[in-house]
Amino acid sequence: MPLYFSEREIVLPGQLLSDDSKRSGEGTYVLGSRVYASTLGFATVKNDKVCVIPFKGAYNPQPGDKVIGIVIDVKPNGFEVSLGRHLTATIKIPDKKEVQALNLKVGEVIYAFVKESGLRGVFLEGGEKIKKITSGLLVSMHPSKIPRLIGRRGSMINMIKKETGCDMIVGRNGLIVIRGPSPTNEFAAVSAIKLVEKEAHSQGLTERVENLIKSILGGGVESEE
Amino acid sequence: MKNEKLKLISEEGIRIDGRKLEELRPLRIEIGVLDKSDGSAYVELGKTKIFAAVFGPREVHPKHLALPDRAILNCRYHMTSFSVDERKPLGMTRREIELSKVIREALESVVFLEEFPRTSIDVYVEVIQADGGTRTAGLTAASLALAEAGIPMADLVAAVAVGKVEGHLVLDLCDIEDKYGEADMPIAMAPRLNSIVLLQLNGRLTKEEFRKALELAKKGIMEIYQKQRDALRKKYSEVSLMEV
Repeated sequence: MPLYFSEREIVLPGQLLSDDSKRSGEGTYVLGSRVYASTLGFATVKNDKVCVIPFKGAYNPQPGDKVIGIVIDVKPNGFEVSLGRHLTATIKIPDKKEVQALNLKVGEVIYAFVKESGLRGVFLEGGEKIKKITSGLLVSMHPSKIPRLIGRRGSMINMIKKETGCDMIVGRNGLIVIRGPSPTNEFAAVSAIKLVEKEAHSQGLTERVENLIKSILGGGVESEE
Repeated sequence: MKNEKLKLISEEGIRIDGRKLEELRPLRIEIGVLDKSDGSAYVELGKTKIFAAVFGPREVHPKHLALPDRAILNCRYHMTSFSVDERKPLGMTRREIELSKVIREALESVVFLEEFPRTSIDVYVEVIQADGGTRTAGLTAASLALAEAGIPMADLVAAVAVGKVEGHLVLDLCDIEDKYGEADMPIAMAPRLNSIVLLQLNGRLTKEEFRKALELAKKGIMEIYQKQRDALRKKYSEVSLMEV
């Protein structure tokens, strides 16, 4: 079956991608046994399916994603967690004692895994996989830019961690927790994140981020990691 | 009486602003012009200037309006008070409320709302300067803003008005032609789906004229559609291959 695009081509909503309706993946739709793009992004083939990687757009939780959430409600059998923007997730715990054992209060920040996401809502893994985050600076960033912040095999995020000496926890939903040795270091990390968000599309970003951090820290701070 | 004094189309078939009968006004499109919105577009069609901004999907306020199986699409078409010759009072007039509705319905037919249950997608169309064809240019801008916001949709929407002026069918009416012409028919299409998503008619056209007008509009819409796609591609052509 022919494909009507070249790999990594920019496709627009409504663009014909394939004749094989079985190959419709993320960011596409089927109309009359043909596959069309539904979002603006790069067209690519993933696991033999035609997909569009969007440039922008809402975060779509996938099972296994690591997210950071804010507890907004405590219930007898679980919690409700805000994942920023329009998303709220549910944690269901069958055992009442376990709920109490977690000792989560409204407003507290947790780090958790996505278990399931669908029409009924987003569900997070319960139990020991939930980690409570007790201190740090919570910043948000556009979820579509998170892969750029992490970089290829974590190159960007590791560099920021190393240069600023901060510990960072990145949620796929766009929330990031930063813990640093001093406010200046934390500020440098936040500035780096903001730069990545602003210039996510450009090349040679890692170097510019590095320079920014160095200029903020005056170049004299020893990295701690 | 007034028509005779004001000659809208010369004997050579040149319109009052120097265009031919089947010619669009110069179209300028810019994408991603507003920082605070999730997606935005600016469309300039001759002297008509329009901004469109999209927010969302985001939480619905008030909450009881949320739908369990799909998103709601809010649309606000608004003309700034300085967009017309005589100051337009602030607030939504009857006309603006109607246009908000028709734009919303046109967009609802292409946007996949069922992908974001319990949320709202808000579209704001702000007319900075009006010179005829604001609903069509507004729709053109709104669909681009939606695409830029990364909202899944079946197709872009392109729109143009056709009309009858002094017995001639003309494409893309300006304000004067709209006011003193015989008919004005704004049409919006999802060109790839080949479906008409908005069609209104002010004035009278015979069956034959209507058919011809529709063909003419299709031609104009394809031209606008091409420019929309070029603008979107240009905006993202400098995008390097991100590590996704």
